[in-house]
Order: sequence, then C-alpha cells, then structure tokens
Amino acid sequence: MKIVVLGAGQVGVTIVEALHDDHDVTVVDLDAARLQALSYRYDVRTVRGNGATRRVLQDAGIAEANLMIACTSRDEINLVAGALVKKLSEAQTIVRTSNPEYLEAWQERQIDVDFMVSSELETAHAVSRTIGVPAAKQTDLFADGAVQIVEFDVPRDVGGHDELTGIPLTEAAERAAERPLTGGYEHVVGLPLREAKVPADSKVASIIRGDRVIVPRGDQSIMPGDRIIIIGSPEAARTWSRIMARGERPVDDVVIFGGGATGLAIARLLVEQKIRVRLVEPREERAREVAEALPDARVYCATGLDPDFIERERIGQARAAVFAMREDAKNLYAATLARVHGIGFTIAIVHEPISIEVFEHAGIDVAVNPRSVTAEEIVRFAHDPRIRQLAMLEGDRFEILDITVRETSKLVRTAFKDLPMTGSLIGAIVRDGAALFPHGNDQLEPGDRAIIFTESRRVAEVEKAL
Amino acid sequence: MARVLRPGALGVDVGSVLNLVGALLKYLGVAFLLPAAFAVGYEEPVWPFLAAAGITTGFGLLLERGTQGKERVGPREGFLVVALTWLAVPAFGALPYLFANEPQLARPVDAYFEAMSGFTATGATLLTDIEALDHSLAMWRQFTQWLGGMGIIVLAVAVLPRLRVGGRELFHSELAGPGEVERLTATIRETARRLWVLYVGLTLAAIVALAAYGWTGADPAMGLYEATAHSFSTLAIGGFSTQEESMAAFGAVTQWTIVVFLLLAGINFLRLYLVLVRGQVHAVARDDEFRLYLAFAAAGSALLLAELLAGDLAGGEEAVRDAVFQAVSIMTTAGFASTDYTAWTPLAELTLLVLMFLGASAGSTGGSIKVVRHLLMFRIIRRELEQTVHREVMVPVRLNTAVVEDRALRGVVTFIVLYVGLFALGAVGLLVDARRAAVEVGSFEALGAAAACLGNVGPAFGFAGPFGTYEPFSDLSTGVLTGLMWLGRLEIIPVAVLLTRSYWRA
Repeated sequence: MKIVVLGAGQVGVTIVEALHDDHDVTVVDLDAARLQALSYRYDVRTVRGNGATRRVLQDAGIAEANLMIACTSRDEINLVAGALVKKLSEAQTIVRTSNPEYLEAWQERQIDVDFMVSSELETAHAVSRTIGVPAAKQTDLFADGAVQIVEFDVPRDVGGHDELTGIPLTEAAERAAERPLTGGYEHVVGLPLREAKVPADSKVASIIRGDRVIVPRGDQSIMPGDRIIIIGSPEAARTWSRIMARGERPVDDVVIFGGGATGLAIARLLVEQKIRVRLVEPREERAREVAEALPDARVYCATGLDPDFIERERIGQARAAVFAMREDAKNLYAATLARVHGIGFTIAIVHEPISIEVFEHAGIDVAVNPRSVTAEEIVRFAHDPRIRQLAMLEGDRFEILDITVRETSKLVRTAFKDLPMTGSLIGAIVRDGAALFPHGNDQLEPGDRAIIFTESRRVAEVEKAL
Repeated sequence: MARVLRPGALGVDVGSVLNLVGALLKYLGVAFLLPAAFAVGYEEPVWPFLAAAGITTGFGLLLERGTQGKERVGPREGFLVVALTWLAVPAFGALPYLFANEPQLARPVDAYFEAMSGFTATGATLLTDIEALDHSLAMWRQFTQWLGGMGIIVLAVAVLPRLRVGGRELFHSELAGPGEVERLTATIRETARRLWVLYVGLTLAAIVALAAYGWTGADPAMGLYEATAHSFSTLAIGGFSTQEESMAAFGAVTQWTIVVFLLLAGINFLRLYLVLVRGQVHAVARDDEFRLYLAFAAAGSALLLAELLAGDLAGGEEAVRDAVFQAVSIMTTAGFASTDYTAWTPLAELTLLVLMFLGASAGSTGGSIKVVRHLLMFRIIRRELEQTVHREVMVPVRLNTAVVEDRALRGVVTFIVLYVGLFALGAVGLLVDARRAAVEVGSFEALGAAAACLGNVGPAFGFAGPFGTYEPFSDLSTGVLTGLMWLGRLEIIPVAVLLTRSYWRA
C-alpha cells in the first residue's frame, strides 16, 4: 500500500515506525531537519513543504496513494489536506484533530474524511480504561432510544504493557490487572458464546480481533483484547459496561489537574460515566470556561502545586488523580505532592517520550502519551480500514437496518434459530412500541420492526427476505 | 446641576429625544378612536375622545417639528425616551377623564393617577363608583391597560419605520426582564411584530371565550362589552374591571377562564410564541423560569386554600376557586378579585402581600420582581455560600443550561435591592404623609399600597382593597403612588440611570 503521511512530529514518527516495513511511505513536513532525521532511521521518502497545498501533495505522489494520514499538530492544515485529497485521488483519508467539534461534525458525516482521530478523546479513553471504567467507544441509539449499539474494548491481562494502548503499567497497575476476576467478566470472556452469560436483552453483533472481523456464532468466544460491538437495551449496555470493568469497584472520585483540551476531554468522559470529577486549573479565564462547559464537575481556579489548597479541599480523599498539565515537570511535581497527600492512584499525561521512564521511576502509576495513543489508533485503521468502518457503524461494509416485516415475508413465524441469514443478525425487534431482544425460539411477526446488523452487500437480500 | 448641564458639556442629545417622544405621541392620537367608537355606539359624548386625540397628535407634531431628530437614537438617549414617553402618555391618556366631566376624576392629579394605573397595567383605582362611568370612558380605562401591557414602545418598534434602526435599546428597556432578550427573528422589529400579533391573537381568543359564556347562558353577567373590557385587562395583566365587585360579579366559569388566561399572559411571550405558533412545547415546558412560576402559583394557592378552610371562610369548589384565583391574580400582578380578600385572615393577607413580590415571568405583561430574578438570586446566594467554604471553586450560574454572565447577575441583585428599597421608602413615605394630611392609614395598608403600586398589582389591603379605592390617600400620596407605578413598569433601572451624573455628562 502507498501511504502519504503529513507531519513528522511524534505522532507521525510513531506511525511511520509501525507502517514502514510493510508499506511504501512518503512523509511530508515543513521542517527539513525532522525529515532528515526520519529518513536516516527508516526507509521512507520525504517531501518538504506545506501538506495542505496541491503542489506538495502531488509531489508526494498522492494520485497513486491508497491512504493519506494528516497528523500535523494543526487541525485546519489536516482538514484542508483531507479535503484536497478527496478531489486529487482515490486515497482513503485519516485526519487528526484536537477539536471535538470537528469530530462531531465528522461523525455526523458533515466532514468528508474516512477517519478522524482526536488525540484528546483517545487519551481520555485510555485514562478511563486505566481507572477501570472502560467507557463505550461509540454508542448509538435506535428505535427512539429503546435499542442501543455500543462498542467496547475488552480489557486484557498482560504483564508489563497494555498492548492495546501502549500504556506501560507499573507494579501498582499490574497488581490491579492481576486481581481475581469477579462479577460477570469470567462468565462472558473466554467462553464460547453459547455458554457465556451474555446479559439479558443483548447480543454480540461483532467481534474484531486484530485484523479480523468475526460474525459471532455460538462456538466463538470473546477474548481479552478484542473490540466488540453489542446491540441491546440501554440497561443491558450498562451491564456490559460493568462487566468490562471486571466487577471491580470502579473509581468513583477523580481529581484532574489541568483544564486544557485534554483535561477537559477526560473530565467530560468521566462525568458521563457518573464519576465525581473535580478539576483544578490555575488560569482564571480558562477555569471559567471549563466550569461553564462542565455543569456536573467541580472546577477550582487554583494551582495543583499548593499544599494548602490540596489540604483544604480534601483532594487526598479522591481515589485517583490525573495530571494533564502542559509541562511534564509540573505534572511530576503535582503528582508527587498528591501522593504525599494520600492519593493512591496517579495517572500522568506525558508530552516528552523520555518522561515515561522518569515518571515510572518516580512512582507514578500510569503514564499516558497522547501522541502514541493517537498513533496507535491511526495505525489500527491503516492496517485494515474496513475494521474501523465497522466499528464506527459507518462506511460501506456494514449497516444497521430498521425494517418493518411484511405479511408476505417467507420468514414470518420462523424461529430465530432457523433463520437463514448469514452475515447478518437481528439485534432487536420493536413490537407494539416495545423493544424485544429475541431468543432462538422466538418468531418474527408481520409488522415487527427489525433492527438488523448486516453486511452491506447483503442489504438487498435482507430487504427482499423480509 | 447647573454645572453639569452647561451647554456643550451635555452628553445626551435631548433634542433628538424630544423629537422621538413627539413622534410617538403623534400616533397615540389614533388610540382614542376606539373609545370614540364605543361612545357613538352607546350614544355618549364623543367629543372628549376626539378632543384628546386632536390635542395629543397636535402636541406630538409640534414637538417633532420643534426639535431636530436623528435617524437613530443612541442607547443613552433610549433611557430618556422611555422615561419621558411613559410620563407623557398617561398625561395625554388622562384627558378624556377630564373632558368627560367625570366628577370622580375631575382633578388632574386624580385623572393622572388613573391613567398611569391604566397604562402601567396596575389596576389601582381612585374611583368610588366604577359603574357610574360611561361605557366609552370605562372602555378607555380598560383599553389603556391593553396598550401599556405589551408596551407602547414595543408596538412602536413593530410599526414605526423610524425605529427600524436603534429600536433595540428602547425595546430592551421596556420589555421586562434581566439580561439580553432572546430573539425570535433576526430583526428586533420582526420580533416586536410577532409579540404583538400573539398578544392580539390571545386577546381575541379571550374575548370569544368570555363572550361565548354570555351567549350560551353559562354566565349571564357576561356580554360582548364585558368580555372585551375584561380581556383587555386580563392579557395586559392589569386588573381594572368595569364592575365595582371586580370578577366577583361574574360566574365561576368566567373566573376559571380568567385564571387560565392570566397564567398564559404571565409566561414569557417569546417562549409562548414558540409554543403556540411553532409548536415547540419544550420552549416552555423545559424552562426553569416557567417551572418555578407554576410552583410559586401552586404553593400560593395551596397556602391560601389551607387558610381558607382552616378559617372556615369558604368551602368546596368555592374555596379552591377563590384560593387559586386570588393567588394567580395577585402573583401575576393582575389584581382582579373573585372575593373580598380583605375579609380573610392575617396569614392569608400576608401570603397575598408576599405573592405581590413574586411577579410573573420576564417578557410577559406582568410586573413586579419576576420569577426569573428570584431564581437567579437564589442561585447567586447558593454560589456565595459555596464559595465561602470552597474559596477557589468556580460556579457558573446557569439558566436553562446557558451560563448567565456576571454583569446580568449584578443587574439582578441591583434591581432587587432597589426594588425592596423603593418599596420600603414608599411605604414609609405614605405613612409620613398620612400623618401630615391626617388620613388614617394603617401600617399594613401602607405596605400593601406601596407593594401593589410598585409591583403594578393594583388593589392592596384595607380601604384600598379589591372592592375599595385609593381615594382616601392625600394628593401627595397619590403622587407618590403614581411615581411607584411608573418606576415599577419601567423596572426602575432606566429611570435610576437618569439620576446619575455620568448619564448627563459627555
């Protein structure tokens, strides 16, 4: 595959590192020194210039490229490049952004790129996973909110590294990972689905394992590290979330230091998980903005480096603290101070790769590097774009259909277990205004609204059958 | 003052202000045609209205000709325009009372009080025998409330081409409520138009509903004349009636209908428009202010009902009706009465006095402090308490999820302090003057009269109760109460800024 990468910063370098062996990579950047350093280390072509211009893109061979990754640190450059590439070539486009507004517009298909990654959001998800609250990656509601489709990353037990996020785990986190599995996790993960205790009113619609998409059958099992898509009632979605938390008492009280874009994204995600969030931001103007953006969090205009403040506001009673300030040194100082005041679990956002090692030695429990998290997510897509499209429930390979069953359908009054549909799955039925989650012996009735998860090429077939 | 007003140092374009006031008065002449038509219909003298129309329009024209106007009034001039307009309009609106040779309003100070009470939709009266008025004069009295209820200037912004630019400041200083008024459309002019269309539509609906009770015999006391007269004062949340016994002269079905229309008129008209015209029910249903408004009305009704039953003052449907009617009527600042509440217990009367301070919603035709200010004040206090303990915590004050700016919050605090201060000052002033003029005024009567006039409620307690009159007050007290109505209608601040030196300075 021919890949053009815009931006040779930390994200760009991590991507090149992952892709250069198997693919034909061209890197574009304004900084000649960076490009030179890159070409010494990897066998890649480099083009110097502004990636948001036609000439530079053409020089980089965009016309023949299969994939363009715009991962400079500037959103608008990335977006313009994405828009240009759509016109200049057939290549798939991946755009990195730091603005949640852009991400939202893309999710609603108002920005025409194939994949968009937000460093802040990916970081927030990484933090959320580390504190034992695996938030749904993506969630959609159907049938007036009665049916929910959610995507989870199944946590895995590994020593040393969480391969999924590249988060190095220190001893404390390892201990957390080795804790005996309680609750429903061991009854769901690692067992064939027909034996697994899948929460009532829900179905596993799809399992993504590495490069493969598995349409789950009774003999398949969910494995640690999989990404799974669940279709079910909102209640069941919450149960799944608890299962993914592996029955641990989730952290319910978090203090975030630093109210920048990353801190805000983390706070927002945690608040959505019903976690009590306190956020500390020293700049008054910014603190006000954050307070206005987060009605359910408590925002302090203070510095995290002030022991008096930490004592007075009982910051030490929080179960975990996240350090998302701009400077690694400040994060380290504040984290050390917080540990002195009794916070048991500290997570730091690091900006310099070298800081990870320093932080680990200093006793910080987890260090998250937003750039590597972002790069990992991009590489995941780059390996097989279809996977992500499935996961996003967009694109052209899988679709969610909402079909009303006709009287004349041959499948009416057939038990679900005997339905012949391969590559598709009836996730839910809306009958008389109520959502049902069918079992093997239930039958389709005329007039039912079927919420169907199917491969796109079977859409016509499914529609005809019903 | 002389130093401040030195020519050249004046920062306000007074000429341009007078010019605009003249232009507005010019059109007020048209309003007299409605009572004139009634006069023709009832074969009563027409000339008082025609003369008033002529004088008003003539004066307006002269004032407009005699001064230099500008295409656009600035925000600073706007305050003076609003204050002067609201002084001048009742002055000209009082002319028919004088010309018609109505003995009860023969003195200018009395006629001016009655007109101010009408235009500010207060409903306080000096009349001792309302039913003695001519039909046409009584209708004019009702009609003044309707004109003033939605706002003379809001109407002017809607129809006068001259106010196409610069109307915004005027609009804001007249349409009640804190902070920036939300807009329905891109232009303030179009918004003003829609508000008036809604206002006219609701009034017509009320007229039809009430008149239908007369036609069908559901309420024999109701006719087209009465329906029109009371719809005017209901939608304007005024409180004037053509009957000495106010709404007690009508049947239960009429009283319940009035409750419904009062509650509607007490909703923010911008939101009401979204619900009634665009079908966006959530604009009201999910509005913080609306919910508190209903809660206040329910709590007031419940308290009154409990007291009525405990005091054995009424029973059954009547007790419920009287409690709900009086709570809604006083809280929304209408001032209609379904019964003589001055005969109620002290607790019931005190409840009504407290209700006078609540008011309806911002952007409605009601007066007083208004529910949204109470809501914001509560949140400001809560924030203060929170920050007393947690010094560094940031607590944005929200209204319907939107953050309210600190400036607007300070405006709320300032308003409430001024309002309560004026109320206290007014009540004390009334008692001082009562001593001077040897009029017997009780402390509760003085408090009630000050609250009822400042809040544009109307009837108070004691002799100034719903079936009573303000007539016993001395002329000076009448003047003070007229001033309180004026201040209350303009929500104090546009008038208060005129008293600052920096307003007049360049």
